[in-house]
Amino acid sequence: MSTRGIQGCSSLGLGLGLCVAASLLAACRGGTGTPAVNGAPAPVPNVVMLVVDSGPGVAGGAVNHAYVTVNVCVSGSQTQCANIDHVLLDTGSNGLRLVASVLAAQKIALSPLSDSAGNTLEECMSFVGGQTWGPVALADVHLAGETAAKLPVQVMNDTSSGAPAPATCGANGTLINGVSGFAANGVLGIGVFEQDCGQACVAPATPLPLYFGCTAAGVCAAEKVALTDQVTNPVALFAADNNGVIVTLPNLQSANGDPTVQGTLVFGIATQSDNPLPSSGITVLGTDTAGDFRTAYNGAATGIPGLIDSGTDSYAFSDPTIAVCASGAFVGYYCPAVAPLSLSAVNTGVGANATTSTVDFALADPNSFVAGATAFIDLGGGGGSTTFTWGMPFFYGRAVYVGINQRTAGLYTGPYYAY
Amino acid sequence: MDHWILKLGIASLGLVAAFGSPAWASLGGDLASIDADAANLGGTQITRFSPAYMVRQIAGESSLDIHEFSNARGVVFAVSWSGPVFPDLRLLLGSYFSRYTDALATLNHAGLHRSVRIDSPPIVVESSGHLRAYHGLAYLPAELPVGVTASELQ
Repeated sequence: MSTRGIQGCSSLGLGLGLCVAASLLAACRGGTGTPAVNGAPAPVPNVVMLVVDSGPGVAGGAVNHAYVTVNVCVSGSQTQCANIDHVLLDTGSNGLRLVASVLAAQKIALSPLSDSAGNTLEECMSFVGGQTWGPVALADVHLAGETAAKLPVQVMNDTSSGAPAPATCGANGTLINGVSGFAANGVLGIGVFEQDCGQACVAPATPLPLYFGCTAAGVCAAEKVALTDQVTNPVALFAADNNGVIVTLPNLQSANGDPTVQGTLVFGIATQSDNPLPSSGITVLGTDTAGDFRTAYNGAATGIPGLIDSGTDSYAFSDPTIAVCASGAFVGYYCPAVAPLSLSAVNTGVGANATTSTVDFALADPNSFVAGATAFIDLGGGGGSTTFTWGMPFFYGRAVYVGINQRTAGLYTGPYYAY
Repeated sequence: MDHWILKLGIASLGLVAAFGSPAWASLGGDLASIDADAANLGGTQITRFSPAYMVRQIAGESSLDIHEFSNARGVVFAVSWSGPVFPDLRLLLGSYFSRYTDALATLNHAGLHRSVRIDSPPIVVESSGHLRAYHGLAYLPAELPVGVTASELQ
């Protein structure tokens, strides 16, 4: 446990060494802050460093995971705080989720939320390969100079104070609660929505099996949850710079994998001098109410749901004509017979931001990747035939803009992804 | 081509009773297992027939849309799902669930695994999406009717 201390960056760059892990917030705020003009609040530091590496020590072995260090405080406290490193940056979900054992090791005990009946509010969050179970608790979360106060976060696998998962949680595969399951100490969901569930969890006739009220005896029942109590995208709660984020990663040096990569996560879009939204040369793809635009792969006449997802390590899509690796370190990923395999897909936005954009990309043969590298361009993986997931390889050499629902940046209103 | 549509309403409780506790089986199961699924999911069924197979659609109260495909022998050879929350795959995969989870556990590289394709004979599971929009298909390649491809089973 420590006082508030977070990493800061001196400017936006393509992952250059401009970011320093500063031990004190003062390092971010000292000296050069712009004074308030006409009563407007002075801009606050809004950039944190991203790093792609092998993950938290006990896990290791991660590939194409971009990590952030998040400063987490017991809500209302300036001293009961900890820097949680290796939190997975996830543009495909919304809300902060932290592994309970990681918080406990830092002696951080967050206050759990209760429902109107006094039962503990818990969540069964489904990723596709598994689910995570744990209570919703309040935290004050600091990223660069930004603060999300009283932020509802999920404490993953809290077996000390939380109820055991109901039988239906884990029913899509397995519970992946621990650090080794995620290769991360938590997940920072900074996608296109304010809350993870939204209105669908507020007033359905039958509550979705997502949030549960759990009695002291550990008996849990699905229940409705107000927006303000749902696990929330921290950016949406910032006082400023709260309309979205910009994720920037550099091009990789080697086609066979880089040992590590640094980039930046910038808060706000067109809110400060360091986060402009270019007026030309940018593709803005509006999403539907689920967070997907449309992607038509390989000349398909109609698109399927698509998203730009830093939480996925590869271009993930279905193409039965591409060989799948049968051996090596990437079993189950694509191993094209002739690599690189050049491919193309067309993205089309939904709603007001209905731009169309053709993206050319390539798949490498992962068996040519060097051992020990953690960042791989052109990694592809098989996936469901009804979603096209533009995973981490898409981010290298780009700035990706993630615009939050109903928040405006210049000419564009979220939800959208832009690049 | 659909010849006709039959709305069955809430699944027959009588059938569930006749087969004892709800069969936690659909893929590879028989028609009764579909009724059991519908009852467990709190859903209504719509049945349609094509020349090669029959589809029962179970529209659950949690907005989950589940299609169960059965062949001429009455074997459920495929199940697809779509909806804002993840379905109970123990229910939909039945006796193949453990084969699926065993295969998941062998995936290289830890992570969220937001898009997976499991090919573990005799089952194939394609699953993807995120909260608010999950999609998936599980099928038994050996039980596909002649001339039917997985890509048409949505």
